[in-house]
Amino acid sequence: MKRISSLQSQFQSAILTLGDEFDDKIVATERVGVKQRIGIYADAYRLRLIECLQDSYGALYTLLGDDEFDRLCRSYIDTHTPYHYSVRWYGDRLAEFLGATAPYREHPYLAELAEFEWKLMEAFDERDVSPVTVEDMATIPPDQWPHLTFGLHPSLRHLELAWNVAAMRSAADEDRDPPAPERSDQPVPWIIWRQQLRQFYRSLADDESWMLDQTQSGDNFAALCEGLCKWKGESEVAIHAAGLLKQWITDGLITRIGT
Amino acid sequence: MQKPAVKKLPFLGFGLGLRTSHYETVLAELPSNIDWFEILSENYLVAGGKPLYYLDAIREHYPMIMHGVSMSIGSSDPLNWNYLEQLKQLADRVQPAWFSDHLCWTGLDGKNIHDLLPLPYTEETIEHVAGRVRQVQDFMERPMLIENVSSYLTYKDSAMSEWEFIAGIAERANCYILLDINNIYVSAFNHEFDPYEYLNFIPVERVGQFHLAGHTNCGDYIIDSHDHPVIDPVWELYADAVRRFGPVSIMIERDDHIPPLNELLPELDRARNIAQPILKEMAA
Repeated sequence: MKRISSLQSQFQSAILTLGDEFDDKIVATERVGVKQRIGIYADAYRLRLIECLQDSYGALYTLLGDDEFDRLCRSYIDTHTPYHYSVRWYGDRLAEFLGATAPYREHPYLAELAEFEWKLMEAFDERDVSPVTVEDMATIPPDQWPHLTFGLHPSLRHLELAWNVAAMRSAADEDRDPPAPERSDQPVPWIIWRQQLRQFYRSLADDESWMLDQTQSGDNFAALCEGLCKWKGESEVAIHAAGLLKQWITDGLITRIGT
Repeated sequence: MQKPAVKKLPFLGFGLGLRTSHYETVLAELPSNIDWFEILSENYLVAGGKPLYYLDAIREHYPMIMHGVSMSIGSSDPLNWNYLEQLKQLADRVQPAWFSDHLCWTGLDGKNIHDLLPLPYTEETIEHVAGRVRQVQDFMERPMLIENVSSYLTYKDSAMSEWEFIAGIAERANCYILLDINNIYVSAFNHEFDPYEYLNFIPVERVGQFHLAGHTNCGDYIIDSHDHPVIDPVWELYADAVRRFGPVSIMIERDDHIPPLNELLPELDRARNIAQPILKEMAA
């Protein structure tokens, strides 16, 4: 075991750090030398991860173009070794890297776009749970409504975006040129989710965003209505909350009603 | 004492690797000249969504085999039981006739290089890998196949040929071999050995499946890229393999520059047209 373990350690380190400690452990032939043989593995490692990042971050790739995206990937790869058995999870820290590393951190929409695209990936293969239907809701007696709580679909991601990164992603998905980066006056709440096999994203008004957070925290319908009074008059608040709930049900966002 | 006979794995016919770009076509057309699909296990070790939806839908119509890339059966790291648990759950869902992974290692110290890295061909490695294959097979409760990989380097430590190495592990672990005909061709070129010597050494009863694929010839070496059609010398090697090993389930792999499904089917027919007359002759 010791011998295999030391050879594997040297081989891995030759791939990751391009050092030469493994060179004298392998056979050169007249046609292909030692450096070239190790180089095949070292190059393949980087190319495979770059390809994976291209797949996960399609809009970021379009925005930066081949050369700049390649440079970004290589500096990310130099500082982030994959650990997960599935290459699909490689790149989970790219947004953080973009936000913290020059020159990318001077363009904060890059980190935000990466965060948005990663959350889309998360929603893509999250757990399947059957959503509640409008008919299910209709069977609940009115006197139970104040006590109702709601479970949300596991694919739901709720985030705030200061830049027009969702438009950048839509453009990339539709093979259009990305719009110029544009910052809004205030960060805008967005949700990403999957309904059956399709992914969706849309922005939310502040009251809907608040209600979604509180729903996630387990507030019942009465508490949600009370909180919404910050935005709506007392007489219309229950109708407004019920309207938002109905929209969420239509969107497949509600998976459980607790009484 | 006489060794117990190795039970030959069933012949599933002529299969293809299941790829996302073909999901819709497969379900719409249910091509009858694809006998079975091989899935890349890691693509379906997810919680839900499209991958599992299409997996279940296509499984209803075709037999499937699970083929993995991350078991790292040759690593000196401990086996990843979290991975194996998930693989077993997937096997319970798919009910494959068998599962396979590569005779290689993919990383050390918990890292994953996401490549099929070759092993030194030594007694020590045979002992190490065979012990792990036995553990995995017992845990999975299904037959395991180990696949020969394409390689680009040889360790000075290696004390035997690749064919002696893989046959030795299959024997000691009591597992099967997934013989990748293209990988034999690629490694034979890269390491300057005779691919027919390789084929002729492998014990017939241990071979449970074949792979065929294309590659990229870089002049001084060949890369196993799975992005081209199978080349003629590999078809010739395949014909020889059929003569030696008889009816063995075979599939064609394409992982890059994946054409529409109807462009891959003639390749599958070519495999069928090569194998069937030989098998008929052998049966006569």
